Amino acid sequence: MGKKKRGHPDVEELISRPWCYYCERDFEDLKLLISHQKAKHFKCDRCGKRLNTAGGLSVHMNQVHKENLEHVENALANRQGLDTEIFGMEGIPEDILQQHNQRIIQNYYTAQAERHAATGNPPPGASGVQGPTKKIKVETPDEIKKRLAEHRARVAAQKAGGTGSAGATPADGQSPGQSASPFPPPQAGYPYPPTGVAAVPGVPVPGYTPPQAYPPTYPPGAAPPPGAFNNLPARPPNNGVPASNLPQRPPYGAPFYPAPGAPPQGYPGASTVDELVANAGRQGDDIDQMIRMAEAGIKPPAKAAEEPAAAADKKGKKDKEKNTRMVYADTEVSPEEKMARLPRYAFVPPV
Amino acid sequence: MAPSTQFEVAQPPKDAASAISFAPESPTRFLVSSWDKNVYLYEIATSDEEHTANLVQTYTHQAPVLDVCFGANDNEAYTAGMDWTVRRLDLTNSTQTVLSKHAAPVRCVVYSPQQSLVVSASWDSTLHVHSPSSPETHLTIALPGKPHALAASPTKLVVAMTARLVHIYDLPTLSKALATLAQTGTQPADIKPWQQRESSLKFLTRAVSCMPSDAGYATSSIEGRVAVEWFEDTPESQSRKYAFKCHRQTAPDEEGGGDVVYPVNALAFHPVYGTFASAGGDGTVALWDAEAKRRMRQYQRFPNSIAAVDFSRDGKFLAIGVCPGFETGMEDYSGQGQTSVFVRELGETEAKGKGSK
Repeated sequence: MGKKKRGHPDVEELISRPWCYYCERDFEDLKLLISHQKAKHFKCDRCGKRLNTAGGLSVHMNQVHKENLEHVENALANRQGLDTEIFGMEGIPEDILQQHNQRIIQNYYTAQAERHAATGNPPPGASGVQGPTKKIKVETPDEIKKRLAEHRARVAAQKAGGTGSAGATPADGQSPGQSASPFPPPQAGYPYPPTGVAAVPGVPVPGYTPPQAYPPTYPPGAAPPPGAFNNLPARPPNNGVPASNLPQRPPYGAPFYPAPGAPPQGYPGASTVDELVANAGRQGDDIDQMIRMAEAGIKPPAKAAEEPAAAADKKGKKDKEKNTRMVYADTEVSPEEKMARLPRYAFVPPV
Repeated sequence: MAPSTQFEVAQPPKDAASAISFAPESPTRFLVSSWDKNVYLYEIATSDEEHTANLVQTYTHQAPVLDVCFGANDNEAYTAGMDWTVRRLDLTNSTQTVLSKHAAPVRCVVYSPQQSLVVSASWDSTLHVHSPSSPETHLTIALPGKPHALAASPTKLVVAMTARLVHIYDLPTLSKALATLAQTGTQPADIKPWQQRESSLKFLTRAVSCMPSDAGYATSSIEGRVAVEWFEDTPESQSRKYAFKCHRQTAPDEEGGGDVVYPVNALAFHPVYGTFASAGGDGTVALWDAEAKRRMRQYQRFPNSIAAVDFSRDGKFLAIGVCPGFETGMEDYSGQGQTSVFVRELGETEAKGKGSK
C-alpha cells in the first residue's frame, strides 16, 4: 500500500510544530505561538500590556502596579512557575520537551491505529497478516436483512433480559453500536453542561482527543473490523472489546522513535503529560472552556460531535462526576441554617 | 505597604461575615453584616499615597445578622437577623426600628430603590414586603419552600428556595398590592409569582444576583456552578440561558484525584458593565462576561472561603468578605479571628466585558 496522506500530517510534521510550554497548545508557526504567549500568559491583567516573558511581566507588575506576580496565567497546574524563562520555544526544559514529543508520538500512533481499525486498512508493512480485513465485503440485500433481524432479536433479548443478562452476548454492554459515543473513555474531565441547559461552555479540549480529531470514516458497506460484531455498524473496538487485530502500540513507536533518555517500557512520561492535560482540563475547565469558546467557532465538528453525546451519554456523565467531592453537600439545608443551629450563634427569642 | 489596588480592611468583623453592601450614593461607603451580631460601616479613603478602608461605626444587634442592604440613601440600612426581625437601621444615630417579625430567622433582605420596597425572606417560608414610608403594614407572601437567596432587579424580585424552586415576582405588582393593603386593610387574596421556574442547577441554590439591565439574573449552587438566565419568557430568550462549572480544584492523586467542588457563595453584577463576579468556597473571586460567556479575571486566592462580594455603585471597588466556609461534617464552626474584608480597586477596564462575539 502506498503512502497516502489523506490530510493526516505525518509524525515529523506534528513534532516540528511549535507549541506552548504553558498550555501545551501547538501552533502553525513560531510567530503565532509568540503572540499566543503574549496574549494568554504574559499579559498584564491590570493594564493589558503584553510582555515578552513571564519575568518581564513580573518586573512590569512590580514596577508599574506594585504587585507581585505569583504565577503565569492560564498555565497548566505545574507550569505556572516564574523561574522558567520561556520565549516561544526557547527555554523549555529538556525533560518537558521529551515528554511533549512522546505524547505527540503516542497520540499520533493511537490515532493512526484508530484509523486503521476504522478503515480496515492494514498498517504499512503488515499487509500479509491483515488480508481478510482488506477486502470490502459487499452485502446482498438478503444478508443485510438477516443482519437487521439478528440485531433486532438481540436488542429484544437484551431488553427482556435487562442489562445484567450478558450471557449470550458477553460484550453487549460495550457493543460499539450501543455506546456510539464519540467520547473515548479515558478522556475524563469533559465539561458537560448540566441537563436542560444549552451546552455552551462545554467545549472539549481540542487537540488532545485523537479519535475526535480524526473521526473514523467508514467506507459504505465496509466489513466491520474483526473483533467487532458482524451484525453491527463498524466502529473501532475502543473499549472492552479486545482489539485483537490491532497491532500493539509499543512495537510501533519504539523502533521508529527511540527517544533518547525515554523511560524503558510504555510511555510513563507521556502518560503523565496526558494526565496533566486531562487534569488541567478538569480543574481549569472553566478557563479552558471559556478560552476555547473561540475555537468552538473554528472547530464546529468537535462541538457537533459533543452535543449528541451529551444527550446520549448521560449515564457516562454521571459516572464521571462521581469522582468529585463536594465541600458542602447538603442539598436541602443551607450552611447558614447549620451555622444557626450552633450554640455559638443561636438566638433564643425573648419569651 | 505601598499603594496597592487591593487592600485589607484594618478592623474586620470579629466573626464570619454574612453580607456586604455598598451605599447607593457614595461609592466609598459600605456595610458588612456579621455573625458576631454587629453591622460594620466602613469608608474607603483614597489618597495618592495610600488606600485604606476605615471602620466608621458598628451597630450591635441582639442576634447574628444574616443580611444587610442599604435603603433609599446612604444613611439608611435594613438588616435581617437571627432574632426573626427585619430592622431599619439609621446609620447616623444608630436607631433601630423593627419593621416586621417573622416566625424564624430572616435570611435575606433587599431594597428596591425603584419601587421603594423592602423585601425580606425568612426560613419560616414567607416573604414580607414593606414600604419604608408606611412601616405599620406589610404584605406576607407564603413561599413553597425555604428561601436561600433573594435579589431584586429594577422591576423583578427573584427568590431562590429549597428543592430548586425559583419564583420571580413583579415588583410593581407587589407595590400595588401593598398599597391596596394600606388602603383597605386587607391583603389581596393571592399574590402570584410572575414566573415560577425550576433552577437550572441541580443542587441547592446558594446565591442570586440580578442584572442591572433588568434582563435576567444569575444563580449559583453549592456544587460549583453558575447559571445565567433571562427573565423574558420566550423560547428565544430561554434558549439563551446557560450554566458553567467554576470554583473547583483538582484533588491530589493521593486523595483519590477527581475534583474538589466548592460552593459558589456569592454573586454580584457590575453596575456599569453588566459583567459579574462570583465568589467561591475555594477562596477565589472570578469576573465573568455574561454576554461573551467568558471568564475575564480570576483573582489570586484569598486566605479563606469567600462569603460575600459587592461592587460599589460606580463599579470602581469590589469588596470581598473572607471567612472560613462551613463544610460538610463540621461539628463546630467559628469565623472568629479568621474573618477579613478586602477591597479591590478595579482598573478602568478591568471589569469591562468585550461584548459577545
